[in-house]
Amino acid sequence: MFRLQGSRTLAVDLAGDAVKAKNGSMVAYDGRVTFKKMTGGGDGLRGMVTRRLTGEQMSVMEVTGQGTCYFADRASEINLVPLHGDKLYVEASNLLCTDAGLRTGTTFTGLRGGASGNGLFTTTVEGTGQVAIMSDGPAVALRVSAQYPLFVDPGAYIAHQGNLQQHLQSGVNFRTLIGEGSGESFQIRFEGEGVVYVQPSERNTLGGDV
Amino acid sequence: MPFREINSKMIEATVVPGQRLYSQRGAMLAYRGEVSFTPNIQGGQGGVMSMIGRRVAGEATPLMTVEGSGTVMFGHGGHHIQVIDLTGDTLYVEADRLLAFDGTLQQGTMFMGSQGGVMGMVRGQVTGQGLFTTTLKGHGAVAVMAHGGVIELPITPGREVHVDPQAYVAHHGDVRNKLSTALGWRDMVGRGSGEAFQLELSGNGAVYVQASEEKL
Repeated sequence: MFRLQGSRTLAVDLAGDAVKAKNGSMVAYDGRVTFKKMTGGGDGLRGMVTRRLTGEQMSVMEVTGQGTCYFADRASEINLVPLHGDKLYVEASNLLCTDAGLRTGTTFTGLRGGASGNGLFTTTVEGTGQVAIMSDGPAVALRVSAQYPLFVDPGAYIAHQGNLQQHLQSGVNFRTLIGEGSGESFQIRFEGEGVVYVQPSERNTLGGDV
Repeated sequence: MPFREINSKMIEATVVPGQRLYSQRGAMLAYRGEVSFTPNIQGGQGGVMSMIGRRVAGEATPLMTVEGSGTVMFGHGGHHIQVIDLTGDTLYVEADRLLAFDGTLQQGTMFMGSQGGVMGMVRGQVTGQGLFTTTLKGHGAVAVMAHGGVIELPITPGREVHVDPQAYVAHHGDVRNKLSTALGWRDMVGRGSGEAFQLELSGNGAVYVQASEEKL
């Protein structure tokens, strides 16, 4: 059972079950808890090869036992996302902890990845359970519906779920070329039905420089 | 109650004549009233011998004495501040995490080896706390800094708490701590889970843990 202790610490109550968490993110625990590194992100041999090839590597440990375990990572804000059979797309570096029953994998993001500094691939989490994702500052969940597409700065995007199509769009014009750009030359456009998680901070991105 | 939290990163202290306050040098942000700040060469209380003790132990942080009447605001480096009220028990904390504390509290230095012998010294090295730590004892309030806010975990007999040494901030009460290792062959081949060393705290009291694994 996941719960938040403050906004930056995640408490997980374990009763003999297991969770997957980012390597080294435990800050405290009581009871009897053991930690074991899962090679290749816990996706098996095929997943391991895929992660190596795509650069979407994550080091994950399996946490099992009885008691309460506390997780935190570099004072990032933590957001809980419940999944009911749907799929969450999140960057491996923003993923803190998932229920062990959830499947993780990698997927191709297309051109967006290059501009957002995320790489061309992203991590997917699928199944029923809870996921804890991290953001720099408290994240907002923005709903996207068919008539209202959403535009997001690639550096502020952290995750999305639901049936969404994404396109990279650019507003590059002659001002950008002479170095007078507004710093908002690239956006990701989300269309469809779903939720996008946005953080109040921007990563250094290729798109943000122009 | 001399400390009041303004927000998570700033505190306001009330100073009245005859009551002094110690704070980390340079941590004052603003003040009202007639307040004087004197650098404290001895780095706290207890005369020259304590000063030498602290110098030797490497637990000497530049402190200043705050006296007068008025209110003073403290903050440092954008770190989160936790105010801990002591009611007669002892707080164990690293000297560089101390932001400000009541002058009525008794300050001391503890040798890590005195708790757990050689293992205690190893613990100090592994946790980056060094061989000595600062203790504060008595009735009063202490303001402690941490990266990313802290949570307080109670320790009761039979329910010990394990803490990542890098996320440990302070503890108080009648608590024994020892270093527990979970080193396995996986760590030897570089496939460790990153949680090989933990501080095991048992007894009666509370431990403060920060939401980050960065030192100050």
